Amino acid sequence: MKRTTGAVAIVSAATLLLSACGGDSGEETADAGSTAEETSAEDDAAAEDEEAAEDEEAAGDEAASTEAPVRDENAELVIWADDVRAPILTEWAEQFGEEYGITTQVQVATDVRQQFKDAANVDQGPDIVVGAHDWLGEFVQNGIVEPVQMSSDTQALFTEDSLAATQFDGQIYGVPYATESLGLIRNTALAPDAPASMEELASFGNGLVDSGDADQAFVTPVSNVGDAYHAYPYLSAYGGGIFGKNDDGGWDPDNVIVGSEESIQGGEKIAWMAEEGLLNVNVDFPTMESLFAEGRTPYMVAGPWAIPNVEGAEIEYAIDPIPDFEDGGETVPFLGVQMFYVASGAQNPTLAQEFVNTYVTTEDMQLALFEAGQRPPALQSALDTVSAEDEDIEAWSAAGEGASPMPNIPAMNAVWQPLGQATSDIVGGADPAERLEAAQEEIVSNIGR
Amino acid sequence: MSETRSSEVDQALDRLEPTGEHLEFSSHTPWWVQVVKWGLILLVVAVLGWMAQQVIEAGHWLMVSLIGFIALCIIAVYATKRAIPAKYLFPGVLLMLLLQIWPLLYTVQISFTNFGDGHISSKEEAVNSIVANSVREVEGSSRYGLNIAVPEGSNVATGDLAYLLTDAEGTYYVGTLEGLEELPADGVEAGPTGRIISAPGWTTLTPQEVNERSDDLADFGVPVFNDAGEQTAGIRQVGLSEAFIGTPTRVYDEEADTITDTVTGTVYVAEDANFVPEDGEGAALPQGWREFVGLQNYTDAFTNATLREGLTKVFVWNVFFAAFTVVATFLLGMAIALLMNDERLKGKGIYRSILILPYALPIYVTALVWASMFNQDFGLINNLLGLDINWLGSAWWARVAVLITNLWLGFPYWFIVCTGALQAIPSDVKEAAAIDGAGAFMTVRRVIMPLLLVAVGPLMIASFAFNFNNFGLIWLLTEGGPFVGGQSSIGSTDLLITLAYRLALGGAAPNFGFASAISVIIFFLVAVISYFGFTRTAALEDVN
Repeated sequence: MKRTTGAVAIVSAATLLLSACGGDSGEETADAGSTAEETSAEDDAAAEDEEAAEDEEAAGDEAASTEAPVRDENAELVIWADDVRAPILTEWAEQFGEEYGITTQVQVATDVRQQFKDAANVDQGPDIVVGAHDWLGEFVQNGIVEPVQMSSDTQALFTEDSLAATQFDGQIYGVPYATESLGLIRNTALAPDAPASMEELASFGNGLVDSGDADQAFVTPVSNVGDAYHAYPYLSAYGGGIFGKNDDGGWDPDNVIVGSEESIQGGEKIAWMAEEGLLNVNVDFPTMESLFAEGRTPYMVAGPWAIPNVEGAEIEYAIDPIPDFEDGGETVPFLGVQMFYVASGAQNPTLAQEFVNTYVTTEDMQLALFEAGQRPPALQSALDTVSAEDEDIEAWSAAGEGASPMPNIPAMNAVWQPLGQATSDIVGGADPAERLEAAQEEIVSNIGR
Repeated sequence: MSETRSSEVDQALDRLEPTGEHLEFSSHTPWWVQVVKWGLILLVVAVLGWMAQQVIEAGHWLMVSLIGFIALCIIAVYATKRAIPAKYLFPGVLLMLLLQIWPLLYTVQISFTNFGDGHISSKEEAVNSIVANSVREVEGSSRYGLNIAVPEGSNVATGDLAYLLTDAEGTYYVGTLEGLEELPADGVEAGPTGRIISAPGWTTLTPQEVNERSDDLADFGVPVFNDAGEQTAGIRQVGLSEAFIGTPTRVYDEEADTITDTVTGTVYVAEDANFVPEDGEGAALPQGWREFVGLQNYTDAFTNATLREGLTKVFVWNVFFAAFTVVATFLLGMAIALLMNDERLKGKGIYRSILILPYALPIYVTALVWASMFNQDFGLINNLLGLDINWLGSAWWARVAVLITNLWLGFPYWFIVCTGALQAIPSDVKEAAAIDGAGAFMTVRRVIMPLLLVAVGPLMIASFAFNFNNFGLIWLLTEGGPFVGGQSSIGSTDLLITLAYRLALGGAAPNFGFASAISVIIFFLVAVISYFGFTRTAALEDVN
C-alpha cells in the first residue's frame, strides 16, 4: 500500500515536471493553431517552430492528420489550403460551384508547399493552391504553376507591393489576398508609449529590467542556429540585405550583398542590440512567446501570427512599426504575401483560372479571407475598408509600409541557414564584419552548388 | 517423464511410417479447401490484373511486366503441387523484394541522376513549361468578352471549338483555329458586360462542358495576323469569360535545340540539363530537366570540401554517439529490468508503466521539450540545479545534452527487451550460481549477462544501426548545431545523415540525386559495421 502511494507520488511528480517543461517551452500547445498560421516566415527557425507546433497539435488532436490530402476524382475544382483558410474557402468554392453548376472541393494540407510539390510531380495535385509568395521560384523551377493573365485593370486594384510579390521572371503567377510583416508588439501595461527609436526602446526596456518590472528588455527569436527572418530588419537598416536587384527589378541570385559594407553596418547594430541585452541566443520562438505572454518583457518583434497567443494571455498590447536607429538606420522587415496559385498540371485549368480571376479579385472574398487570417488584405479597397474599422490591421499595414518583399527566387533556400547562423554568432559576440563576410562566401558557394 | 513421452511419439511414428498414411493425407484435400485455394489465387491474379490496368493507363511498361511476372510466379507456385518450400517462402521473399530491395535499387538508380528541384521533369516538359510561361499580353491590346461554343448541330463533346468574342467597342467576333471573323450582331444575345450569351448558328458550352474539353482547349488559340498575313500573336482564354491577345516571348527552335527570348534577344543553349545564355551572361532559365549524370554525384560527394573537412570529425562522433547510446541505454535498461524482476518488489505494474512512458511519447514532443529544458537562461535544468551551462551553445555540452536525451529516450526499449529475456533465463542457473558462492554482482556478470547477450545481441546491432542514422533526435534537439568557427555547414552534433541532409537538401535546390549518393555511401558504412557486429555476436552464441 505504502509503495503504491509512492508510485502515485512519482506519477504526479512526473506530470508536474512535464507541465513545468511545457511552461518553459512556451505555450506551444495552446497556440498551436496560431503558429501554424505562419506560412510565410520561411526561415529555418520559424519554420521549425511552426512544424513543432503543428506536430504537437497533431499529437493532441486525432483529427489533425499530417497525411497529404488525396484529391477527389469527381470534383471539378480542387483547392488546397492550410487549416485556417480552408473553412472560409469552402463557402466561396461552394458558391462558385453553384453559380457554374460544378462540384468543388477544398482540402486541408498540413504542409501545402511540400505536399503540392510532391503531388504535382505525379499529376495528383490540386487545381489551385493557396500559399506564401516566396514559394514561387521553386514552383516555377519545377514547372508546376502557370501564369495568371490578370488584365491591367484588375492589376490596378491591388496594392503595389503585393502585386510585385506575385511576379517571377516578369510574369504574374497568382492573385494575392493578404500581406504580413514583422512589427513591434508592445505590452501597454509595461510600456505605455511607443518608443521613438531603437535607442529609446533599449534604455526604457533596460530601465524596466533594472527596476525588476521585467526580465528581458526586448524579445525576438534568435536561437543558437539563428533566425535570418527576424534579423533581417536590422541587417538591412543601412541599405544592406541579401540580394541585389537585376535590371528588370527582380532579385539577382548572382549578386549576394550579405557581406557588403551596408549589411555589415546593420550587423554592427545587431551586435549593439546584443550588448544592450535586446538580442539573446537563448530566446527562440517559443521562449519569446512565453516571455511576452507572462508579461516578463515589454517589447516583442513578431508577426501577426504571434497575436492570438498574446490575446490568449490577456495582455493589453499595441502594434507599431519596428523603431529605427537614431543615426538614420531605417529598419526594413520582410513583406510576405499570401496568394492563390493555379497549378500547371491542373485537371480543370479553365475553372481554376475563372475562380482566381473573378472570385479572388472581389472585395467580398478578400474581406472574408481577412476574417479568417486577420492579415491586411492585398486588394486596396478591401484594405481601406478593414483599416477604417480595425486598429490592429491599420497598425500592421503601417508596420509593413516600405517592407521589402521576401525574395521569391529559389536561391533564397541557400540563405536561411548561413545567414541565420551568422546573426546568431554576432549576437553571441562574433565580429560582424568577419562573420558576415564568411556567411557571404558560404551563401555564394551554396547557390553555386 | 519426458523421456517416456518421446518414446511414445517415436513408436507412433514408427507405426505410421510403413502405411504411408501421412502422405495420403495431403493428396486427399477436402473439396472446399481446393475451392478456397483457387478462389484466393484468382482473387490475387484479378487484383494484379487491375493494378496492371492502372499502370498501363499511366504508361509504366516496366511496372506492367513486373506485375505480370509476379502473377506468373504466384500461379507457378500455388497452382501446382510442386515447390512446397516456395509456397512458404514466396510471400516473404516478395515482400522483401518490394519493401527492402526495390527502394534500395531505386535510391541507387536516383544517385546516378540529377533528380531534384528544378530537374524534375523531362526535357520536353521543361521546354513546354518555358514557352507556356513566357506568354505575355500584347502591349496596348484590350481584352475580349468570351464565350466558348461549337457549331450548332455538332456534339458539344467533340465538335470544333470556337471562341465567341466581344471586343471593347462591342463588336462581335467568332474565333477559330483559322483566325478571327466578324459575327453579325443579328440575333446575338449579350450579357450586361457585353459578353455573348447565345448566337445563332452556335451552341454555347456550359462551364462543365468547357471543363470536360480542357485538353482540347489547352491547344486552342485564335491566331492574330498582321497586315502582311504573318501570325503575330494569339487570342487565348483567361477562365471562362475573358480572352486576351498574347504571344510567347520565348521560342524553342527544335533543330538548333535553343530557346530565343524575343524581348531581350538572348539565345539560350542546352547545357547541363538547363538552358543557359549562349554568351554566358545572365541567369539560366529556371526550368531544367532530369538526366543521367553517371558518377557525378559520387565524385561530388568525395570531392566536396565540406564533406572532406567534416567527415572524419562527424564520423567519429557518429560512431561514438551510436555506440555510447546502445551501451548506456542497454546497461540502464538492464539494471532497471533486474530491479523490477525482483519478486520482493510490489506494484511492479505501475513502475513498469511509468518507465515505459518515455518510449510511448512521440519523439517530436519529447525532443522539443528536452530542447527547451536545456535552454541556458530559461531552461528547467539550469534553473533547477542552479547552473549556468550553455547546453546547446557549446560543442561539448551539446554532445552531452544529446547523449542524456537519447539515454532517456532509449532505455525503456532495453528495459522491455531485458524484462522479456530475463523471464526466459531459468532460475536454476541462478540458484546454481548462488550455491557455487557467487554474489549478486558476480551472478549478473558471469551468468545472467552472457545468457542475456545471446538473446539481445542482434537487437543491439539493430539499435546501433538505428542510432547511427538517428536523424529525428538530432534535428529536433540541436539541428546538428552548435556551429562553431564561423560557419554553418558542419555542426558539433551532426551525424552523417544530418550533415548529408543539410548538404543535399539545404542548398538552393534540394538535390535528391546527391542525397541518394550520400545515402548509398552511408548504407555501405553501416553494412560494414553491422557485418563485424554480427560476426562478434556469432562468437557470443558459443556460450550455449
